[in-house]
Amino acid sequence: MSQHTSTTTPSTSSTSARAAAGRRGHRTALAQRPLLAWRTIDLMTAAMVGVTMGVVFWGWNFFYAFASPAFTATAAPFVGLLGGTWLLAGVLGGLIVRRPGAALFAEMLAAAVSALLGNEWGWTTLYSGVLQGFGAELILLLFLYKRFSLVVAVLAGMMAAAVEMTYEWNIYWAGFDTAWKLVYLGAFMFSGAVIAGGGGWLLTRALARTGAIDAMPPAQELHESRAV
Amino acid sequence: MLRDLDLSIAPGERVLLAGPSGAGKSTLLRAIAGVLLTADVGDLAGEVRVDGADPHEHPGRVALLLQDPTASLVAERIGRDVAFGLENLRLPREQIWPQVAEALTAVGLPYPLDHRTHALSGGETQRLALAGALAMRPGVLLLDEPTSMLDPGLAAEVRAAVADVVRRRGSTLVVVEHRMEGWVDLVDRVVVLDEAGAVVADGPPDRVLAEHRDALLAQGVWVPGAGDPKPADIDHALVGPYQEAAGTLVEATEIVLRHTWRTHTGERRITVALDGVCERLDAGRILAVTGASGAGKSTLVSVLGGLARPTSGAVHAGPLGSDRPLWKWRSSALARRLAWVPQQPEHAIVARTVLDEVLTAARATDRESWARRRADALLQAVGVAHLAAANPYQVSGGEQRRIMLAAALAHGPQVLLLDEPTVGQDRTTWSLVAGLAAAARDAGVAVGMATHDLLAVDTVGDRHTALSHGRAR
Amino acid sequence: MMARCGPLSLLLVCLLPAFGAPAIESVEHGLWSLLPVAVLAAVAVRAVGITLRRMALGLVAAGSIAVSTWLYGGHDLDTAVGASLRIIYLIAPGAIASTYLEPSSLADHLAQRLRLPPRVVVAASAALQRLDEVGEQWRQIGRARRARGVGAEGGPVRRVRVGATMAVALLVSTMRLSGRMSVAMDARGFARAQRRTWAEPAPWRPADSVAALAGVALAVVPWLLR
Repeated sequence: MSQHTSTTTPSTSSTSARAAAGRRGHRTALAQRPLLAWRTIDLMTAAMVGVTMGVVFWGWNFFYAFASPAFTATAAPFVGLLGGTWLLAGVLGGLIVRRPGAALFAEMLAAAVSALLGNEWGWTTLYSGVLQGFGAELILLLFLYKRFSLVVAVLAGMMAAAVEMTYEWNIYWAGFDTAWKLVYLGAFMFSGAVIAGGGGWLLTRALARTGAIDAMPPAQELHESRAV
Repeated sequence: MLRDLDLSIAPGERVLLAGPSGAGKSTLLRAIAGVLLTADVGDLAGEVRVDGADPHEHPGRVALLLQDPTASLVAERIGRDVAFGLENLRLPREQIWPQVAEALTAVGLPYPLDHRTHALSGGETQRLALAGALAMRPGVLLLDEPTSMLDPGLAAEVRAAVADVVRRRGSTLVVVEHRMEGWVDLVDRVVVLDEAGAVVADGPPDRVLAEHRDALLAQGVWVPGAGDPKPADIDHALVGPYQEAAGTLVEATEIVLRHTWRTHTGERRITVALDGVCERLDAGRILAVTGASGAGKSTLVSVLGGLARPTSGAVHAGPLGSDRPLWKWRSSALARRLAWVPQQPEHAIVARTVLDEVLTAARATDRESWARRRADALLQAVGVAHLAAANPYQVSGGEQRRIMLAAALAHGPQVLLLDEPTVGQDRTTWSLVAGLAAAARDAGVAVGMATHDLLAVDTVGDRHTALSHGRAR
Repeated sequence: MMARCGPLSLLLVCLLPAFGAPAIESVEHGLWSLLPVAVLAAVAVRAVGITLRRMALGLVAAGSIAVSTWLYGGHDLDTAVGASLRIIYLIAPGAIASTYLEPSSLADHLAQRLRLPPRVVVAASAALQRLDEVGEQWRQIGRARRARGVGAEGGPVRRVRVGATMAVALLVSTMRLSGRMSVAMDARGFARAQRRTWAEPAPWRPADSVAALAGVALAVVPWLLR
């Protein structure tokens, strides 16, 4: 029925990516081209980032419920500073997988998990997921999926907040005055920059160091920077 | 990894692949199955041919079962899960379901097609994975440590299912299992790899195991008929408690633990993990909690450690310093008195280097200077001193387990709780784990161990509680 | 009737009211708009317990929005209560319909009816199957940290810090899991399954059309009532 012969020898390069030289000699590893040819590992990584972050969101919801009354009583629009965590799924998915749609996919799944586990907003959380993921995706697209530096991550976090705000402006905060909404937007974008952008970038590097995402471009990047 | 490996397997042959951890056995199986490029990184030279063709060209011809039974689950119901491969092969709907039913019968799963996958035991899940593979009518079956996570009863079920399938279909079989009993009778050829991934032995089981017995034992392989490993000899000074204590240290009375959860459609499901269990942990004794999967062993151990809150019942550890229920204790108070190693040690990793990992609890309990010498010596004793600066995530599974056990003992707890400490380990790690538990016991620590490893129970257990469906038998 | 609806039409009932909600501004307007929602509730509620639980969460949100709007939107009671009614309108239909929603069939319908890429949909579905396990891993990670003296307790700063490290540990675990799942799936031919067949059909029944119309109605009614 079957017969096989096999010969295998180890060597040194990686099967996952080629690197592109960026500014200051820093090499960014890119996803294997063609960009739209997602491997199974790309799909499952993005999906599991989404599911995992959905569970983390669920935990963060509790913290938000605990912390937000303190803001309501004192400096309400600054509650936007707590919002960046919800943007993390998309930015992280995009930074790890580095393919078009990764950020959107991860953020949508995280939103779906949040809805499944039961939150205040039910399935309308999906709208937030789509918009937040789309915002991150826009920035990554702007850089043609070739740059995934801290700056890009921060911009992605900020854009995710901004796009989500277009929805929240009319739905959640519709009765508030414009000045309030603008301060909220500022706080939200700042949170997106720091938590989702900065946090996401650091998280990606930490994950690469643990060896958990070896088949993904960030691990290739780490490997090459160490080899130098 | 593998290096210059040349291997040829004839149709219908049954091969057992043996060798130390890290030899590249899993890599070889993935190469044969055509999934080497899925998640692995490294360089590939040479070729693999199955039936004269590249395995990538014919998905499903080679079936691969993994160590983690739940890794192959893709659907909510068993029928749909088995159909996954057939859907990928683009079979029309009418042809899918008969083949699904046939595969499920072949592995002996008697449930209806809409039975929930989550309701299956570990052994049943492995058999489901086997059914999922069989539905695609493979010519070759590759099994990567399929039973190492399972208790002996479930492992036997899976082996029987595989034996049955292989006998009836005449499939070619390649098994990687470091616990060889049971499998040795099924195979007609044993191939041994060394650390570098080269073939050092290849032939009929009796001959190979007789000739290379000592080398295999040195590598930690569980050679059948070689006698049981002995617990390692560990210096008591390394594992004794910071503060001596005697008598019953933790007492749990009438523990009931019910999980209530709601599915998305609103149904209320209640599972009773523990039903009126009374247990205690005594200084200088090892309590072994046994039972089939799902019987509540891990839950009981967590409750005894104050890490799970029972629905009703009391858990107290008065002799350890406070009369408050154990599950209410603050984290630092808990850490001063006890230690807990989870079933998957990587869940407990908190630090950047192995040495920091071992010193974590010591730092959290202000015992760092006291623990420092012990930490170095413990790392030495478990054979990972050379990894002191390594990232805990980057070491092998067996090394992780030893490190986390050292980390549990470095700060001198009075109670040590272990959740399945010896599952899936090679002889060397087994012996170190058993040795550490025995030494701690001898030094006056109260040890509690949830395990399905009867050898461990017999070798180091002092008291033995068997649980069945949450109740003590 | 809702029991015969497929996931797509149910999702429409959950999602479309969001288009109607912005139209609600005053209390009177809100109450009239909620009338059809009440009718829906009367007709379709099952599993009253879980529906009420979801509604309760939503009511808390609605209440807090009302308070905030009153404080920061000009101390106008009408606007504040109107804001909370808007939130209720947004959430209630979803709370009712989602009790009928089976996520496992969602993948089939998305791929077969909407023709979304099959591998993406199946990957999402497979990942969702792991949800319970991921939750349990989160709990294990929490337990281990507690046992080692670095548990998540005390003030908010410490809790967030420990929570963040727990999230990293969880991600490491789930990333490894995704690697194993990928190997298992590719071994069953997933790598080349850009076109694949489906073992379960994804029918659109008359009940689905009714539910879809109900969803559209909910999107439109508040605007018509202005």
